[in-house]
Amino acid sequence: MSARETILNAVRSGLGNTAVDPAAVRRDADALLQDLPSIRPALLADGLVDAFIARVTSPKVAATAERIASASELPAAVGRYLEAFGLPAVVALQPAAPLQDLDWSGFELHDKVAPDEMIAIGVARWGIAETGSLVFHSGADTPILANFLPLHHLVMVRADTILPFLDDYAAATAGQRPPRNVNIVTGASGTTDIEGSLVLGAHGPRFLHVVIVGTPDSSE
Amino acid sequence: MQEATLSFKARAQEALADPTLKIAIDRTTGTAERKRAVAMTQFPQFEAARERGKRIKDHVIANLDHYLLEFERNAIASGAKVHWARTAEEASQIVVRLCKEAGAKRVTRVKSMLGEEIGLPHALDEAGIERVETDLAEHIVQLGGDRPSHIVWPSMHRTREQVSEMFKRLHRAPHQEETIEAMVDSARRELRDKFLTADVAISGANFLVADTGATCTVTNEGNAELTTTPPRVHIVTAGIEKLVPSTEHALLLLRLLVRSATGADVTQYTTFHCGPKQTGDRDGPEEFHIVLVDNGRTRMLREGMKDMLRCIRCGACMNHCVVFRQLGGHVYGGTYPGPMGAVLTPVFDGLESSRDLPHACTMNGKCQEVCPVAIPLPTLLRGWRDRSWREGLEPATVRFGLGIHTFVASRPRLYRLGTAIAIRVMRLFSRGGLVKGMPGLGAWTAYREFPAPAKRTFMEMYKDQEKGQ
Repeated sequence: MSARETILNAVRSGLGNTAVDPAAVRRDADALLQDLPSIRPALLADGLVDAFIARVTSPKVAATAERIASASELPAAVGRYLEAFGLPAVVALQPAAPLQDLDWSGFELHDKVAPDEMIAIGVARWGIAETGSLVFHSGADTPILANFLPLHHLVMVRADTILPFLDDYAAATAGQRPPRNVNIVTGASGTTDIEGSLVLGAHGPRFLHVVIVGTPDSSE
Repeated sequence: MQEATLSFKARAQEALADPTLKIAIDRTTGTAERKRAVAMTQFPQFEAARERGKRIKDHVIANLDHYLLEFERNAIASGAKVHWARTAEEASQIVVRLCKEAGAKRVTRVKSMLGEEIGLPHALDEAGIERVETDLAEHIVQLGGDRPSHIVWPSMHRTREQVSEMFKRLHRAPHQEETIEAMVDSARRELRDKFLTADVAISGANFLVADTGATCTVTNEGNAELTTTPPRVHIVTAGIEKLVPSTEHALLLLRLLVRSATGADVTQYTTFHCGPKQTGDRDGPEEFHIVLVDNGRTRMLREGMKDMLRCIRCGACMNHCVVFRQLGGHVYGGTYPGPMGAVLTPVFDGLESSRDLPHACTMNGKCQEVCPVAIPLPTLLRGWRDRSWREGLEPATVRFGLGIHTFVASRPRLYRLGTAIAIRVMRLFSRGGLVKGMPGLGAWTAYREFPAPAKRTFMEMYKDQEKGQ
């Protein structure tokens, strides 16, 4: 008997060899997703954007955030960030249209992220207010490593893509073909492996700066 | 995964005598306990969420065959190759074979307790494949040539001074400054090129998502994604109990897992890996393998240990265990330490060699109280004690001692006489209300004092009071 058969048989006999009704299993699984408000934490503010920013900048997440009215203001916001850190205007830009279409004059751009990349700019598909998280789907315009190699990671997210809770992301994408990677990123890379004390910049970015564009009802 | 030949008690003696170990344990578990407590006050819905988490896991276990097949179907549809392993050896052999087929010289690994459980580090070393541990703690464990001592902080037994010494000796460009920041930087430099030049990546999974066929890893360092993206082949090893019906169910459990483990609300990086690189993708592996491992889990199902299959490996039970916090993880001898380890190790290694573990427990119930999926750990430990007694594994001295106790305790007059004499003798050895040493009490007084007993027994005082009325 193959390992597969042996394991499945052992599972069935361990469960008492009762017949499984897939429809009933589905019903039970769905029932476990009912009444979600009773098992969710509270948001930190009333408005979604405010709650998101409050979480992103809270000590637990320890990232920085700013708001801009339109994506066209992003290069200027990036310029200010680089200036504050005294960094050169040499950046890896995610090859995604919402970023590539902007006016980056004055910047030296490349789209391949180097192992010791100093600054990378990306765009997240969603933000999550509950945790201050950013959600990326890997793909033709979203290399996975771009989120992990740079020391400074600057991420644009549209205000109207900020979801209240983690499970809202799952509900929003249920039934769709998943990408190779869904990366839910919350703050910079950190480790507590030496005596439990938190140090940022373990293997991934040491700095995460989130730029929120527009308002929840803007349709930019 | 047997520790050395030393008995549990001998290992415990050694751990208690180690002057730095207790400091190292306290620094990490103390922080974890405090941070979890704060996280609980910020999430008053935790109890309700915990009940839901328990029900999700119970639902999966009750329909495990259904979910295994659904997961397999969807994983294959996503382009993954699914393998099944009955035992630890079989699982390791599959991984080593896949590495060899890929012509792997260097393999990068993401920390996975299941990988430790199946002896993967050893199997890869035996096969002559260069193994690079990328989680900082596992990197420290690898440099130190020892074993993980905690499931969330594997190098918890090392102080910063010890880590500094190792990095200076073994890193190519070690830190100059004696700060933890500088040490973390040193590891970052050391591992950078290894991430990018490995042939195969091996990770575990915190969740297996049945309706997508995806596997999920959670890390704070970002080492999982740096590990699983550049190599041509990504192999996942996961226990069959890791299944969840959907991504939504996984995210509900994630809230419980992270708060219980570190007190954070969510890990910095939560990643779902579904199949290999897709057409047009900029990066990602070309081959994606998933090895589903039984290794005793179906036996647990059969032998009344279903509750333990809910475990999501957060480590809260050990952070809050009074025994673990005195001894650390190595003393337990198995892959998993602390209360959950004392329940699991007899499953993997047999009760005969691990019968001391279920006894290394005060039954204070703290582990069950903090468990995010409400596993009745004390009950399961008592089950092992019971079985050890029934199977005659308890040593003759214990049987003899308990025999005497039973004889005396079931004869009230004899019992009262005995206790009346005992407390009077003990008072002769007491100084300032404490017994610091006494013949026959050495096992206790070697590490702590015994409070001096009252002048007279409860029954003596009770009788006098009755007479007086």
